[in-house]
Amino acid sequence: MIVVKDLVRQFKSGDRTIKPVNRVSFGLERGTLASIVGKSGSGKSTLLSLLGALDKPTSGDVVVDGMSLAGLPDGKLTEYRRRDIGFVFQQFNLIPNLSAVDNVMLPIEFAGVRKVARRQRAGELLEQVQLSQDKHGRRVNRLSGGEQQRVAIARALANEPKLILADEPTGNLDEQTGEHIVELLKSLSRDHNTTILVVPHDRGLANKTDRRFRLQQGRLSEETVRGGVRETSLDSEGVPAQAGTAASVGGCAG
Amino acid sequence: MSVLARSVGNAFRNKIRTAAIVAVLAVAIGLALAMLVANQAVAAKVQELNASVGTVLTVNPAGGQGFEGGGEPLTQEQAATAAAVPNVASVVGTKALRLGTETATTSGTNAGRTPPTGPGGGGPGGQSAAAATTSLQAAIDAGTLGNRNGAGGTGTNTGTTGTQTAPAFSLPITATGIGAEVDSTGKALTIIDGTGLGDYSATTGKALLGTTLAEKNGLTVGSTFTINSQAFTVAGTFDSGTAFGNNALYLSLADAQHLAALPGELSSMIVTVDSMENVESTKTALENALGTDKADVTQGQRNLETAASSLNSVKGISLIAFVAALATAGIIILLIMVMLVRERRREIGVLKAIGARNRTIGLQFVLEALVLVALGSTVGAAVASFASGGIASALISSNSATAAAATPRGAGMGGGFPGGAQGGPFSGTTQLLTSVSANASPPVIAAGIAAVFGVAIIGALVPALLTARIRPIEVLRGE
Repeated sequence: MIVVKDLVRQFKSGDRTIKPVNRVSFGLERGTLASIVGKSGSGKSTLLSLLGALDKPTSGDVVVDGMSLAGLPDGKLTEYRRRDIGFVFQQFNLIPNLSAVDNVMLPIEFAGVRKVARRQRAGELLEQVQLSQDKHGRRVNRLSGGEQQRVAIARALANEPKLILADEPTGNLDEQTGEHIVELLKSLSRDHNTTILVVPHDRGLANKTDRRFRLQQGRLSEETVRGGVRETSLDSEGVPAQAGTAASVGGCAG
Repeated sequence: MSVLARSVGNAFRNKIRTAAIVAVLAVAIGLALAMLVANQAVAAKVQELNASVGTVLTVNPAGGQGFEGGGEPLTQEQAATAAAVPNVASVVGTKALRLGTETATTSGTNAGRTPPTGPGGGGPGGQSAAAATTSLQAAIDAGTLGNRNGAGGTGTNTGTTGTQTAPAFSLPITATGIGAEVDSTGKALTIIDGTGLGDYSATTGKALLGTTLAEKNGLTVGSTFTINSQAFTVAGTFDSGTAFGNNALYLSLADAQHLAALPGELSSMIVTVDSMENVESTKTALENALGTDKADVTQGQRNLETAASSLNSVKGISLIAFVAALATAGIIILLIMVMLVRERRREIGVLKAIGARNRTIGLQFVLEALVLVALGSTVGAAVASFASGGIASALISSNSATAAAATPRGAGMGGGFPGGAQGGPFSGTTQLLTSVSANASPPVIAAGIAAVFGVAIIGALVPALLTARIRPIEVLRGE
């Protein structure tokens, strides 16, 4: 269970204070496949960074399986990222001079798994994301964008994390491979009880998720569909919103 | 892929840049190693010189310097006076004899010219050396210089005829009566075969022969020969290290005085001072006690001391240069690694984002630095092996020129008189200095490389620690 409590992240920009994440609260059960949509610059990536402990909130807390991230030292946050989190970055962020299999092996190596076992695991993951065998040993900077994206997804799955945070995971994939990745994510959430939060690049992927959130000017609302009518409700308590309780979204504090 | 494998891979990520870095490091490391090799070689030489400089003062009769002669001989009483001077550890009297071969002295053509004194006498000892004849043949040819000096020795060939060609001159043999088992410079004798003379203050009828002299005359321990028709038994043979030095023999002081028919008279005294620090003050005290009109006190190996001092400055310079080159290598590593860390901030952020510990990332950068240093050290060691000899020679020659200029000519020539030799026993100071052999020995190179690696680790640690301060979100915010 992941519980986000009144999360705020603010930045100073000259005289202005910007709050890309402003008092966001929600909860996700284990095994949920959820999505966050919103305009560019609405704070989706910032929210993912806070959930993945890449960034520290100005206030509020994220509680994962009862463990509060607020106040954890850097070493514990690193351990949390290594053990519980899988990232798929929008720009892939692979290590360019390493091969596909070496990139996937990195988080497994950091977890202390022996070389033979990690190579075998990395190979299996690359197979899962449908990267052909002959490209496993190829440097990632010689792979296409779609292939790099699959390597990035495989790397995110490497340590069987509790929570996968994926920023446009199918953005560079053709329709068929994209479908396959969506099915892979769904099976992970269903069969391995992995919680997955994606920022989809199109509405199609968002519609396939269990829960859909919208982030607008730092405030989070959840979309529900009842009787063919789409409703948006603000939920500051992390409890699924009730139909007909739509509320306005909060603005940016200046 | 392990951290080490990743570090090696990263070191070669940009081959042209790696080559440039290795070249720069090789120059710094090569220079550091060359300086270390030179420093070690010079240190060894200084130690050797210090051992030779010792604490020995030589006392000769006043006026015995050069070719002038004159003055009063030294006596046993003066030896007792010298022994009473503070800080004097021991006094050993010597009595020098110049031995001409019996066949040469009885030859009509050479009559009156043996034993020659003056030119070719080789030093002040020559002035107080008594003449005697022996059955021994000199082991060394007189050579051009010996013959020239011998011809000018007494001038008998410019007799009434005025046309007689001078026959080949036979080099005299040095016989020294000694009061202890030391040579004429105070150094312990290196006895190769047999034993010493036992009691050096009594007449023993025994002698110690130089190896070449014994060989030339077919003598071994127990053989006999004569001096002034008196039989002497070979008690042992010694090696002085030089051919001319081995054309000599040692007797007990009493035997030499008896042969010279000058009991109680000394050619020189070898005074050993209790420590290096007291040498100068003891020299003055001896001059005061014996009188400067009676005795000359010389610090025989002062030129060597000057040389040692000169080499010490070379040692200091080379050590400073080693440390400076080492520091340069460290700074080069530091700057390169700072550059690499700045360049790879995003990569460091990604590694942290996927769970790499700070120490894992830091170790990766330190290992990468060590890979570069290993390459630089390999090339640098090759550079050092070629350059160290030249660098050491350049340093030493510039310093030994100063030392040689400061060396008084003829100083410390007391006691020796082999006329065939050019100059005294210390005329080879410059050669001694330049004989420093700066070979790049594996232990020295290994020690130098260990120091380089130590500095490189320090140089790489700072940038490695900088990686700990990089927060993943700072570098990934561009997403």
